[in-house]
Amino acid sequence: MASRYCWQTIVLLLSVVIAVPTLAGEPMEKIKQTTGKIIAIVTDPALKAPERAKERRHLIRKAVDERFDWGEMSRRTLSTHWAKRTDAERKEFINLFGELLERTYMGKVDDYSGEKVRFENEIIDGDYGIVKAKILTRKETEIPVIYRLKKKSGDWYVYDISIEGVSFINNYRTQFNSIIVKSSYQDLVKRLKAKVE
Amino acid sequence: MKRFNLELSVGLFMIAGIVCLGYLSIRLGKMEVFGEKGYEIKAIFSNSGGLKAGSSVVIAGVDVGRVKKIILDDYQALAVLSLPLDLKIQEDAIASIKTKGLIGEKYIGITPGGSEKTIEPGGRIRDTQPAVDLEQLLSSYVFGKL
Repeated sequence: MASRYCWQTIVLLLSVVIAVPTLAGEPMEKIKQTTGKIIAIVTDPALKAPERAKERRHLIRKAVDERFDWGEMSRRTLSTHWAKRTDAERKEFINLFGELLERTYMGKVDDYSGEKVRFENEIIDGDYGIVKAKILTRKETEIPVIYRLKKKSGDWYVYDISIEGVSFINNYRTQFNSIIVKSSYQDLVKRLKAKVE
Repeated sequence: MKRFNLELSVGLFMIAGIVCLGYLSIRLGKMEVFGEKGYEIKAIFSNSGGLKAGSSVVIAGVDVGRVKKIILDDYQALAVLSLPLDLKIQEDAIASIKTKGLIGEKYIGITPGGSEKTIEPGGRIRDTQPAVDLEQLLSSYVFGKL
């Protein structure tokens, strides 16, 4: 009798112990890891040498690729035009989009000068998560940032960032739509290629 | 007899006038006849910026629906949107609070998404952008933090 309850207690305890690590895989934890990685790369004195710039960018890009879902972001920015694209076109677009963002924002990451990121809270709603943070600039302004994540294959990936309430995806969605409607999807691709070359 | 005719015509004229007035007020008041035929979805904003019930819902610059009501829910603004039955909103559409002009009235702009899944009646637009509070933005950049 006693041994039966003993068994149950052990199983219960074990399940709690095993459950705890999965609780730690929440969106905020994932974002913290990625921003931590990127800040570590950017502040690493060994990588500051100009000859290692390419390596540095490659490492940053790798850290970003782990957390950002380029496919999801591409679909969201192309919106109603995504359905009409072939698989090859979609693959091409996802690559171009990643390159565009790297070109646009990598320079800004290089300009990092000690800004801190303070994570405030997270809201999880099924497979979707929202992480709210504040970037504290050197001038002591606080910039509110909201990360939107989606759970895929057990891991959390960012699909949108809002800075001061302005959505990154919405910004590109409006611009891409405007170009596609005014001229064509091929023209958009041409423009993107020109920007990343 | 003549008296009766006169009173009759005056009466009819009055009725005609009131009917015209009624027609005008309904048209100008933009009462939606599809009210019963539309469906409702929700959107939650951290700042509604003064959006009112009756405000427009706009897609690609076209007036497609109305804000049925706007209430406070868990300290956020919950807007109930009324949309025509044949208009489907994708699951990854983004709803933002925009302003007509720079300081005009607020409305909700929806940019369509790329998902094949659409929002069911009674569902919610997940991704929203709040109204931009220009004063707050200005103050945080001009004055910084104490």
